[in-house]
Amino acid sequence: MLFKISLSGVKSRWKDYLVLFSGMMITTAIFYMFETISTNDKFTTNSPVGQNAKVVFIFGSILLAIITLVYVFYANNFLMSMRKHDYGLFMMLGAKSKVISRLIILETLVIGLASTAVGIVIGVGVTKGLSGLLSNQIHVSLTNFSAFYMPAVWTTVILFLVLFVIAGLVNARTFFKTSALNLLRSNQESDWKDPKKRTLWIQAILGLVLLAAGYYAMYDINKLLLMAIPIALVTIILGTYFVFNSFFVMILEAVQRSSISFKGLNNFTVSQLKFRIRDYTRILSVVSLLFALALGAITVGIGFQRMVPMMANGNNAYAVGITNPSSKMKSLVSGINNKNQVTYQQKVNSQTKTIYYRSSQFKNQPFKYAHFTNRTQLKSQVNDAQLSQLKDQTSEAYAGLNNVQSPLTRNLRIKFVSNVAFNQIRSKTNTLLLVRVTNMDAAAQTLSKIVNLQTRQYGKKVSEGLGIGGSYVTYQLLKGVFGSLEFMGIFLGIAFLAMLASCLMFKILSGAANDQTRFEMLNKIGARKSVLNRSILIQILGLFLLPAVLGIIDVAFGLQMFVKANLLHNAYQTFGWSALGFSVLYLIYYGMTVIIYSKIVVPKTRMEK
Amino acid sequence: MTAEIVRTNNLHKTYDQNGAKPYEALKGITFSVQQGEFVGIMGASGSGKTTLLNIMATLDQPTSGSVEIDGKDVTHLTPNQMSDFRSEKLGFIFQDFNLLETLTAQENIALPLSLQNKKAAETKRAVVAAAKKLGIDELLTKYPTQLSGGQKQRVAAARALVANPSIIFGDEPTGALDSTNARELLDTLTSINQQGVSILLVTHDPFSASFCKRILFIKDGKIGDEIKADGKSRNEFYQQILEKLGTFEQ
Repeated sequence: MLFKISLSGVKSRWKDYLVLFSGMMITTAIFYMFETISTNDKFTTNSPVGQNAKVVFIFGSILLAIITLVYVFYANNFLMSMRKHDYGLFMMLGAKSKVISRLIILETLVIGLASTAVGIVIGVGVTKGLSGLLSNQIHVSLTNFSAFYMPAVWTTVILFLVLFVIAGLVNARTFFKTSALNLLRSNQESDWKDPKKRTLWIQAILGLVLLAAGYYAMYDINKLLLMAIPIALVTIILGTYFVFNSFFVMILEAVQRSSISFKGLNNFTVSQLKFRIRDYTRILSVVSLLFALALGAITVGIGFQRMVPMMANGNNAYAVGITNPSSKMKSLVSGINNKNQVTYQQKVNSQTKTIYYRSSQFKNQPFKYAHFTNRTQLKSQVNDAQLSQLKDQTSEAYAGLNNVQSPLTRNLRIKFVSNVAFNQIRSKTNTLLLVRVTNMDAAAQTLSKIVNLQTRQYGKKVSEGLGIGGSYVTYQLLKGVFGSLEFMGIFLGIAFLAMLASCLMFKILSGAANDQTRFEMLNKIGARKSVLNRSILIQILGLFLLPAVLGIIDVAFGLQMFVKANLLHNAYQTFGWSALGFSVLYLIYYGMTVIIYSKIVVPKTRMEK
Repeated sequence: MTAEIVRTNNLHKTYDQNGAKPYEALKGITFSVQQGEFVGIMGASGSGKTTLLNIMATLDQPTSGSVEIDGKDVTHLTPNQMSDFRSEKLGFIFQDFNLLETLTAQENIALPLSLQNKKAAETKRAVVAAAKKLGIDELLTKYPTQLSGGQKQRVAAARALVANPSIIFGDEPTGALDSTNARELLDTLTSINQQGVSILLVTHDPFSASFCKRILFIKDGKIGDEIKADGKSRNEFYQQILEKLGTFEQ
């Protein structure tokens, strides 16, 4: 019977449950996404950082589990707040508390397990979609990675099962501690106390100083070396907390004191925001730090990706060199957009171990060679090679030309002769086709087909260690090395973002029920619907924006560690773009939160009734 | 003579829930409130008194009939016009105060004026004046959590009063107060009324009702009876209400 009543209770508030349910499913899906990488040892240890990656992922798993825990508890509070009244009613009707406790645990578990099951299915789908999309976008083939991965499923199920059992027990306990009457009248009133001015000042200054110290530590990593990381970690975490707890509150108080606050609902909006920020200090700090981590991961991931073509470009001016191209290769080459190509004639004399070229051809269409002008910053330049340079076997130009010879003749010497001398050499005339591309990423697919054909052609030699020449091969090699790293960075960044934004969204929504009476009152005393909506837009914007701004500043300074250590090039440009993309996703969450929150709190006008 | 501040004409309200049998909450209610009157509406739960209040307060729409407040038909306003009308012409005192905990008493009282975008200086003046009337001018910088129930209700009353409304609606305003605080608030309302503000109180509590000058009894969506204080002492009027209730509710 009670179960029937409880089911009807769920039915009558199915919209709220839908919010709860979708929140839980997203969390499960994200955790699963993370675990598909984290539990996949083959995939992580195959990356260039090898075993280190495992450590990072164990750390990441723990971090995510903690966040999930926080999230589940918020969700759980929300669930309890919805059910309190019903439970109180059951008690009044004479239900034994034992029966109700069992009901509570059962309900929590049913909701938890159902959302976990659906969440995993979504997780598999999203992982498949996102990994497919990413591997396509960043031209990385993912070996040893699969969207459906049994260990990840188990880890997710076990974690969530444990969390929900704990949550159910906690619910039952709070229920035991509250009397039936209190349950019935569980309209929570916030106990807002105006924070003391002096405490605010001290915390604000402390927070800003700590943040500054953390930023400085990251900025001056060359001096502080490895100490920079723990210093920054501690100071930034504490600093963020204090800044939320005081600095932002003080700014809002200043706004409140100004005359703006007398217009419309401004005072209400600002005071609500102030109250929220203090109430949510912990979650806002976590959100801000996660925002920084996620954005940092994406920026570094993309940064590595952008470095690959730069490294490849400095390696050789030509993407591929093809000796005696077949018609199939020629047609592939002609299919590449934005390219330059050049053809040289050569003759090989295997007795003198020499490849001969016509000097005149190299004069008329100079050979281009690439060299790094600044190896640490990956800056490279492409120059036309003089004949004299090409004749010097120790020169970069000679090395460049040697690199694009076929693997069969790579170990021969290169000589330049006059047309007369060239014609006198009694051997077959070969052609060497060199292809330069401006956009390696775009041409990658065609180039890889050409290289595959060449590999098949030279099969034996290639396997002996003399690979195909040209910068594309280097590009391919680096992609293999850095690819999984980029993939992890971007994938995790998106997962973290989804997690933190869901967490924030949920925290805001779970408080919506309590705000209903406030908005009801404002509606009664004559606040227009548009005024109420504007107030909501601003309140929630504040809650989304502040942690994001702080997170972006964190990353801006954090990148200094990579820049100073010459690990990343063009970091800030990459950062700008990834911050932009990141913000778009974040904005979608903001929009969703505003819409759902307004639906809950803004009273319907009598026209809509 | 005094002008009519509220006039309802043959108000009907039928709740038509899909599937369920239509429920007629109001069955033709006609009455008026004169400028400066203190009127009570009494009735048991489900009698329709809250529905009536919501319709008069432009929070709900009648199925048929009309409501005029201060000479204006409010039954056919747009949502925005209704909001503006409420902020300019109506004052509300709710049962559970409905103060915003994150605003000081002063800021709470100022809300209706802020909604009308009044100038800051003007708002401050009006807030202080309303607070003085209710004897809470010392409490203006306090937050609701620092106030007693009675003080909170007086802040709520000041908020209702601050915009100089045509009429103040009270929905069981003493419902959440103990007897001392309830008494205090009712005395305050009486003194506000004596200064010329019209008040309409919805209540089922005979004690609260005994402070009114006229009482309308609602039963099953109709006005069943009406009694007037007419110079009787409050105690006598209270006895009369009790008697009336005794016969009326049967």
